[in-house]
Amino acid sequence: MADGAREPLVQVRGLKMHFPITSGLLRRQVGAVKAVDDVSFDILPRETLGMVGESGCGKSTTGRAVLRLYDITAGSIRIEGAEIGSLSQTALRRLRPKMQMVFQDPQASLNPRMTVAAIIGEPLDEHTRWGRRERLDRIYELMDAVGLNRNFANRYPHEFSGGQRQRIGIARALALNPAFIVCDEPIAALDVSIQAQVVNLLEELQERFGLTYLFISHDLSMVRHIATRVAVMYLGKIVELAPREALYADPLHPYSQALLSAVPDPDPSLAEKVERIILTGDVPSPSSPPQGCNFCTRCPQVMPVCREIEPETREVSHGRFVACHLHDATHDPTGGRTPGTRQEPNQQGVTR
Amino acid sequence: MFTYTLRRLAFAVPTVLIISLIVFLLLDLAPGDPTADLPLTIPVEVREQIRMALGLGEPVHIRYLKWLEMMLVNEPLHALANMTGWDVTRDAPRILSWQTRSPVGDIIAQRIPQTLWVVGLGYIFGVLIALPIGIISAYRQYSWFDQVGTFVSMVGFSVPTFFTGVVLILVFSVWLGWFPSMYDTTLEVRDWDSFVRQVKQIILPVSVLALFNASQISRFMRASMLDNLNQDYVRTARAKGLKEQTVVLTHVLRNSMIPVVTVIALGIPAVFSGAIITEQIFRVNGLGHALIGAIYANDIPMVQTITFIFAVLIVLFNLIADVLYGLLDPRIRYD
Amino acid sequence: MIRKTSLMGTAAALALLPAMAMAERGSSGHMNIIYWQAVSTMNPFLSGGTKEMNAASIVLEPMARYDETGELVAWLAEEIPTIDNGGVSEDLLSITWTLREGLVWSDGTPVTSADAVFTYEYCTHPEGGCSYRDRFANIDSVEALDERTVKVNFSDITPFPYLPFVGAGSPMIQQAQFADCLGARAPECTDANFAPIGTGPYRVVDFRPNDVIQFEANPNYRDPDRPFFQTITWAGGGDATGAARAVFQTGEMDYAWNLQLAPEVIEQMEAGGMGELLVDFGPLMERIEINFTDPSPDLPEGERSTRMHPHPILSDIRVREALSLAIDRELLTEIGYGPTGKPTCNFIVAPPAMASPNNDACLTPDKDRANALLDEAGWEMGPDGIRVKDGQRLELLFQTSTNAVRQDFQALVQQDWREIGVDTRLRNINAGVFFGSDPGSPDTYLKFYADVQMYASLFEGTDPTAHLEQRRCGREPKPDTQWQGQNINRYCNEEYDALWLELSREADPDRRQELVIALNDMFVQDYAHLPLVARGRVSAKANSLGGVILNVWDSEHWQIHDWYRIEN
Repeated sequence: MADGAREPLVQVRGLKMHFPITSGLLRRQVGAVKAVDDVSFDILPRETLGMVGESGCGKSTTGRAVLRLYDITAGSIRIEGAEIGSLSQTALRRLRPKMQMVFQDPQASLNPRMTVAAIIGEPLDEHTRWGRRERLDRIYELMDAVGLNRNFANRYPHEFSGGQRQRIGIARALALNPAFIVCDEPIAALDVSIQAQVVNLLEELQERFGLTYLFISHDLSMVRHIATRVAVMYLGKIVELAPREALYADPLHPYSQALLSAVPDPDPSLAEKVERIILTGDVPSPSSPPQGCNFCTRCPQVMPVCREIEPETREVSHGRFVACHLHDATHDPTGGRTPGTRQEPNQQGVTR
Repeated sequence: MFTYTLRRLAFAVPTVLIISLIVFLLLDLAPGDPTADLPLTIPVEVREQIRMALGLGEPVHIRYLKWLEMMLVNEPLHALANMTGWDVTRDAPRILSWQTRSPVGDIIAQRIPQTLWVVGLGYIFGVLIALPIGIISAYRQYSWFDQVGTFVSMVGFSVPTFFTGVVLILVFSVWLGWFPSMYDTTLEVRDWDSFVRQVKQIILPVSVLALFNASQISRFMRASMLDNLNQDYVRTARAKGLKEQTVVLTHVLRNSMIPVVTVIALGIPAVFSGAIITEQIFRVNGLGHALIGAIYANDIPMVQTITFIFAVLIVLFNLIADVLYGLLDPRIRYD
Repeated sequence: MIRKTSLMGTAAALALLPAMAMAERGSSGHMNIIYWQAVSTMNPFLSGGTKEMNAASIVLEPMARYDETGELVAWLAEEIPTIDNGGVSEDLLSITWTLREGLVWSDGTPVTSADAVFTYEYCTHPEGGCSYRDRFANIDSVEALDERTVKVNFSDITPFPYLPFVGAGSPMIQQAQFADCLGARAPECTDANFAPIGTGPYRVVDFRPNDVIQFEANPNYRDPDRPFFQTITWAGGGDATGAARAVFQTGEMDYAWNLQLAPEVIEQMEAGGMGELLVDFGPLMERIEINFTDPSPDLPEGERSTRMHPHPILSDIRVREALSLAIDRELLTEIGYGPTGKPTCNFIVAPPAMASPNNDACLTPDKDRANALLDEAGWEMGPDGIRVKDGQRLELLFQTSTNAVRQDFQALVQQDWREIGVDTRLRNINAGVFFGSDPGSPDTYLKFYADVQMYASLFEGTDPTAHLEQRRCGREPKPDTQWQGQNINRYCNEEYDALWLELSREADPDRRQELVIALNDMFVQDYAHLPLVARGRVSAKANSLGGVILNVWDSEHWQIHDWYRIEN
């Protein structure tokens, strides 16, 4: 997938999103929740990067931060070559049409006091100077595209089912012809029967409009279905990033292994063979992550070095990146102890 | 919606009747004697005659039915007759106050304008102050503005009006001499001068009430805004690339107003009930003033009537609040 | 500079007021009066409250009223009828009043004796519920002898015949206006009740019940130069503090009535410097009544607090005296009333001529003597500091109405009594219940289901005969009388009754005075109740208001026609 010919559409480097913890009478900052801590990845045009991890690992925050729905703590975000990491919110407004988001909760993410037409049409009012007719045509067009009956244009979100609401959310996201869409758990709140419909719709739209997705989900089978490449997050960091097939066939990071072992296999004969890895203990608090490797407190294969030194992310084979001491010396012929020089080439998705 | 309103109105009738019974019995059975306030020089025998003349000789159920008829039939007829000049009353008996021996309805009609002016303005100003404060406080949560707003509304809410009232009187009437400490109820606004005097005398009581109401409503507004500011649809709005102003005013504010509007509507009966303490301090001859006077004097017909009117207003405004909710929030439909 | 004006407002009196720039009707302009308890009606017969009586007194007038010294002065009558001038019959069975000549109502129609007869009929109608019905008690008939003379025939010997048509509580109303308002129809005449036609210096322009009254000078008032104020706004409502503030500190009001405030508040207010406190002492006296009968809840209902069972502790005069001796009345007065109270040991505290000089010893508390008395009575100090006799603790239930000053008093008295080994349980009852006359309520002061109780009482006018009569044997509240009667402490003393009978037949003023003092002394030296404080009437006037003479024997606006604005 990651053939070097294409320039990445989205390029994220060293993204940090820390939320301050304040306390006391004067609300002094006493610490920070490191929801996203030094994350880097690229997304190529028209590809789907899946992002998986347990609840609270920072997936959604990453998605929102990439779209600058937050003012990020540090890092660089380039979309179509334009740096947006440090732009002001006002300046960002101009760029919003290019990048959109589909939210997890289709009910909560739609303003309950606006009709479908108003919801879909609002970005058009904001970013175009279309007349009423044009605007309405576009709304109908979008509704058709996502499979909503045009007659429902004047209804309110609560009158729709969950799947339909998500279609409204998608139509709204598509309104301004974006290039890049962050899908933040778009199917988590839906019935299983509807999930497939929505995922299929997303795929179909990707084909049709040439979209690029960051697909955030905790549903590993759905990610396997839609994603080209997959990033596994744990406690604010990407622990492994690899092409879909490679990851699912042979996860390298102990966390990925544990995570994937939990996926029920449709083939019962195979399912018996797969040994489930049960992780013990709780995810540490992102406000005080453990020293060394973030996963060292729960890792079944923990080594002394894990508790002291934070593992580097390195490319262990073509297009496969992992941050784990297990793969330090044995798998990395270039040696991982020169992070200063190896930092750039080490980033995934780029082969030089 | 219309049928829903009608049905609710129909249900309100038995509610109001039950309330009337409870109000009547509670007050009637409460210990107390209308002659207790009279000087001790009036002999007990004479007191007994006074009690008889007040109609206390009859059994409770007869008095209740009589009162109910006067309350629900005769008084409205009299009010109609007063407004239209039609002779529909046929000299039906009216509820008489024990203190003044005159119809309770007339006294209430005399008192309502002052109450609506003073307490109503206090409420309106309170709301007008509260909304922007609540909005800004929520939008800039934990900013110095929010902190000051929180402090002021805490003070306004927790310091009783009898305290703020007296402080204002001391500062503005006694020390500075800017405003009168007593409300002149005989003042009629005829020209600029009398208008200025009216404004001057209304400022202090209205300020006291406005502060109190504002601190309450601004808290509601702030809480409701905060609820909505963190909603996903606000993030959606931002993701759409809307102006911040549009996001806050169109998306957040409109949704936040739904509960606040109903809170405001539910507060309106309290406007009618007058602000007992504030009216007392500034000597505004409103309904609250009439009520507290009647309570002190054991003027039971007066207390019963005012209480009953409040009860009806509360039932009514509950209904109005519900209907408003339905109108404002498309998610709620009554059918 | 301002001398007491003539009571009748004659031309001669005018000469005594050299300070007044313009001495003619209406020359002083407008006056503001504040009654923090608002006036409910202008018909005093339908209210009985002091506030209504005072407001009505500037419109409706009696034949005669009392001046500030408690002396009778002819008002609508030409002179005070006496035995000497033939106005009172020798047999003390009738009194004849003669109206002044040329007297007219404010609507211009003449005042006649028929109006007096009508007033009597109005107030004595059995269904009318007239509050001053007792003023017309013991009257056989009231007859009009001619246009200006009216004769009151008593059913019994009445040595003090100055109750009907005397004082602010017994004014004359106009027959023409109230003719249709007799009996049960009385409350229906709202217009008449709110704006009665009178003979007084003012007439009602606008009356708003429990709120505000507008008065203007009566154009037909008999003195062409008076009243000096053309208009009055008589505001009502608020509280006593606000009323005091409006006179003393902001100057919005010229006169404020009944400022029952804590002494320190009054002091602070006076510092405002814009007004002056007016205090005078009448017959109002705060006392502790001692129950001579047993209020024990173990007794069957109907026997509690009746003469069937004498009080097990308080029947002993030594205990009663000890209780009296233990109380520090000076301290109570200072804390509760300041300048508006005077400690007293008398039942009849006023008028001054009637107040006994013989009991002032009790003003100095003497706990040693009190302890000695209790020892003598067989009450021995127990280990917990409470006296015991025959296994019974010396414990008293002390009740009163809910009122800040009274609760202070209760606590102080409890402390005083604790020091002589008497344990006191305190109880306070809502005033509306306590002073109510509902025979079904166990908590009224009439039922007296307690050992001791505190309240204030007074009498109307200057003559205490009726007040003394209340303590006769048999006049106590009891089940037979639906618990009505004013012999609250259930006092019963044949000597007292005999002496009172003598007073009731005595017409000579000097002898009457002696008898009143003798009755008073007998009562208080029997420690039948414990007088505490004589309470003054407290009002306030602005410094710029002249001619005000506070009067505790009648309406305090009795000579409002002489009030004027002091020009600077």
